[in-house]
Amino acid sequence: MQIIILFFVLVLAQIVCYKIMLFGLAVPIVFIYLILRLPINWHLNVALTIAFLMGLAVDITCNTPGLNALCCTLLAVFRYPIFSLYVSREDDMNVPTPSVESLGLGSYFRYMSTMVVIYATMLFFLQSIGMHNLPVTLARIGASSVLSIALILGLDSLVSTRREKRL
Amino acid sequence: MKNLFDFFIRHSAWVVATIYVVLSLLMLIKDNPYQQSIYLTSANAVSSTVYGGISLVTDYFHLKGINDELQQRNALLEMQLVDLRAQLADAKMQLPDTTLNSNLQHFDFVVAHVISNSIAQTNNYITINRGAADGIKAEMGVVDHTGVVGIVNVVGKHSARIISLLNPYMKLSCKLKNSEYFGSMVWDTGDPRYATLEELPKHLHYAVGDTVVTSGYSTVFPEGIIVGTIEGRARNLSDSFVSLKVKLSTNFSQLSTVRVITNDMSEELHLLQESDAQGQGGSANRKEEGAK
Repeated sequence: MQIIILFFVLVLAQIVCYKIMLFGLAVPIVFIYLILRLPINWHLNVALTIAFLMGLAVDITCNTPGLNALCCTLLAVFRYPIFSLYVSREDDMNVPTPSVESLGLGSYFRYMSTMVVIYATMLFFLQSIGMHNLPVTLARIGASSVLSIALILGLDSLVSTRREKRL
Repeated sequence: MKNLFDFFIRHSAWVVATIYVVLSLLMLIKDNPYQQSIYLTSANAVSSTVYGGISLVTDYFHLKGINDELQQRNALLEMQLVDLRAQLADAKMQLPDTTLNSNLQHFDFVVAHVISNSIAQTNNYITINRGAADGIKAEMGVVDHTGVVGIVNVVGKHSARIISLLNPYMKLSCKLKNSEYFGSMVWDTGDPRYATLEELPKHLHYAVGDTVVTSGYSTVFPEGIIVGTIEGRARNLSDSFVSLKVKLSTNFSQLSTVRVITNDMSEELHLLQESDAQGQGGSANRKEEGAK
């Protein structure tokens, strides 16, 4: 249930985010937080489907047909290998949902920032196919990654505190 | 056969991933704004409702800037009005029976509100809150009080999507205001404040700050609408033509109210073209008959 609410909230947030562009370069990408947060023990097919639908929803509202859907699907494919790169024993986690709470700040930051950088790289390179402005593309990837990582860390603390209060 | 099913079930994740990747790639490759279904664009009912709600809030932040621009524009127009009245009075004194005719009288406007707009993408689009119910059709030109904005592309009942000038798919026929040299304006992605005017003849004389206006060679935009001012020479792709860097007069990051040009000349022109084609077909038939 929480995932469904998060899905709609994040799509809405992303629509607002695409309107924002800091210094002409940085576009905040927050909706991939849902893909990062999907419980790691869920079947890959479920994660793939949710990621694809998430990307498609953003594509339709932001006029980028297929772009985010493709990047989201690929991100869901990379998710488990990257996760196991930083977290060796998933049995140690008390909850299967990756967050600062369950992994600790260090591991979560490494996992999350790797995923964000991969996503930004795929997104901006696919967007700039056929254009000859590599420096701009690289600057966009860098600036958007930093901004998105900061926003997702804030988002994670927001979602986690809310759950603590409910408990 | 059982082995085959087992194989697919064991590797179902790869199958699912491949299907999604292929679907996305198909959408990505078929990304031609002229062929998109309305359901896959921001002009669909759900998106336009959401955008309408968001823009109700965000539009307030731009009001101050828009107000300043409008006041400046108003002052400029008042000056022009005074000037033109004086000229008209002069003209009437000299030629009392002449009625002034202008290309602009064939064009009417529908005022629309921008509910979504992007400038950060490679292909940028704008969504407005007017659609087929308000008389909007595809391929109508869109301007705001500062200059050209784009061309209507997908039309819903109460919303429409515009291909922004900041979209490499959009090519706009333009000319320099004080000469008859024309070229096509394209946005080469990157800075939303500048675009390139390409395919100008090499012997062209220009000065930085010269005004670039629409050429009027299509029925979409009337002649003489301001597009921007020349900033300097742009990187050249061909030796036989000159490209100029143009500072766009429209501030795309603060679009709020736009005007859609509902052109009543285009139907006449289409009719004319059709009858022309029929006429040619008819004469060809006659020739064949003559040969028999």
